[in-house]
Amino acid sequence: MAALYLMEQGAVVRKVDQRVVVELEGRTVQDIPLIKIDQVVIFGRVTVTAAATAMFLEHGIEVVYLTAYGKFLGRLQPPAPKNCLLRVAQYRASLDGAASAWLARCFVRGKIKNMLYVLQRSRREGAAIDEIFIQEIKKALKALEGAANVDAIRGVEGVASAVYFKAFGEMIKKDFSFAGRVKRPPTDPVNSLLSLGYTLLAKDMTSAVNTVGLDPYMGFLHRQRYGRTSLALDLMEEFRPVVVDTLVLACINKGILKPEDFHREFGGAVYLQEEARKKFLVQYETKKNSEIRHPVFNYQASYRRCMDLQARLLAKHLTGEIDEYPPLVWR
Amino acid sequence: MVVAYDVQDDKRRNKVHKILKNYGQWMQFSVFECQKLSKEQFLRLRYQLEKHIKPAEDSVRYYILCEGCAGKVIRIGGEELRREDVFLV
Repeated sequence: MAALYLMEQGAVVRKVDQRVVVELEGRTVQDIPLIKIDQVVIFGRVTVTAAATAMFLEHGIEVVYLTAYGKFLGRLQPPAPKNCLLRVAQYRASLDGAASAWLARCFVRGKIKNMLYVLQRSRREGAAIDEIFIQEIKKALKALEGAANVDAIRGVEGVASAVYFKAFGEMIKKDFSFAGRVKRPPTDPVNSLLSLGYTLLAKDMTSAVNTVGLDPYMGFLHRQRYGRTSLALDLMEEFRPVVVDTLVLACINKGILKPEDFHREFGGAVYLQEEARKKFLVQYETKKNSEIRHPVFNYQASYRRCMDLQARLLAKHLTGEIDEYPPLVWR
Repeated sequence: MVVAYDVQDDKRRNKVHKILKNYGQWMQFSVFECQKLSKEQFLRLRYQLEKHIKPAEDSVRYYILCEGCAGKVIRIGGEELRREDVFLV
């Protein structure tokens, strides 16, 4: 199953039979069977007709709305699964400090281990990453086990990420530089790619969480905030380094994206040009569909499937079917 | 899977063509390729086609290719195979 990305401003999405037809200025530019897609992602000003909307909802296809620049706006979602018992278990754990801390530690452990994996792999491939960074992150990993509550865990996560992004610049080979993580808005190309990548990952994680029947808004590591998909952000932590960061590095180091593919907005924000963004989306989808061996189940699964599996493992843990939540860790 | 059909009546042929478009890609006259149909989708397609064709006059053939064979298709000219892991507009 694939995602349909709509970026052409002014495009119209129609239902014809059991197909999705995209028109641009009266011309048909895309005509695909509905059964081929499981998600529609809209950037900016794209019209979806009422018939098409109804068809998406009927077939459980979600529609994600982003601004023309790729900032998340909202989603049109088929009815939530009816598993209210699971959601009660989730809320109970979310309101319980000890249970939250235990889970938050799992997510952060996964993230830090994966950051370490990305750094060490790059070093083997010749990046000049100082041993100090590796040691600092290992220290954070130890400190994590002693962190008593969610606030302390957030602190450890912050420290580890800061060190990681300090080392991140060393992994970039070509004509790009990276001084540190900058967001809202990103002010250099690398940060702009990271931000777009995380937005895409967040939308996929949210749909994984929805599919399993969990409430994406009630998290453990991330504080509850109106309209923030905290749980999706929690589960996303372990995927960030291996899915988005390595993807961004590959796009830059392999020369798939070049400095002239970016443009600077008034006010300093940096975004990808239209054509280059399409390239990045294709790379992201390819990555998502690429297969790895899942460490717990020990079979080949795409990253997309792994997101579902992790959400399912979390659900099983919350309802008491399994004792542990094993984060997805690369070796 | 490759679906080939031979339908006498124009009206019925159009109908078959329209149904198949919902499941796969039109490659050439009377030939469709349907990538990765699930069992359920295949049954539904068969059911829909069987409603319209007259077995006495028409025929529909399904050639189901295994994953290894699907990669061995040789093409010269004609319709490009649509990539199906992501759709961009």
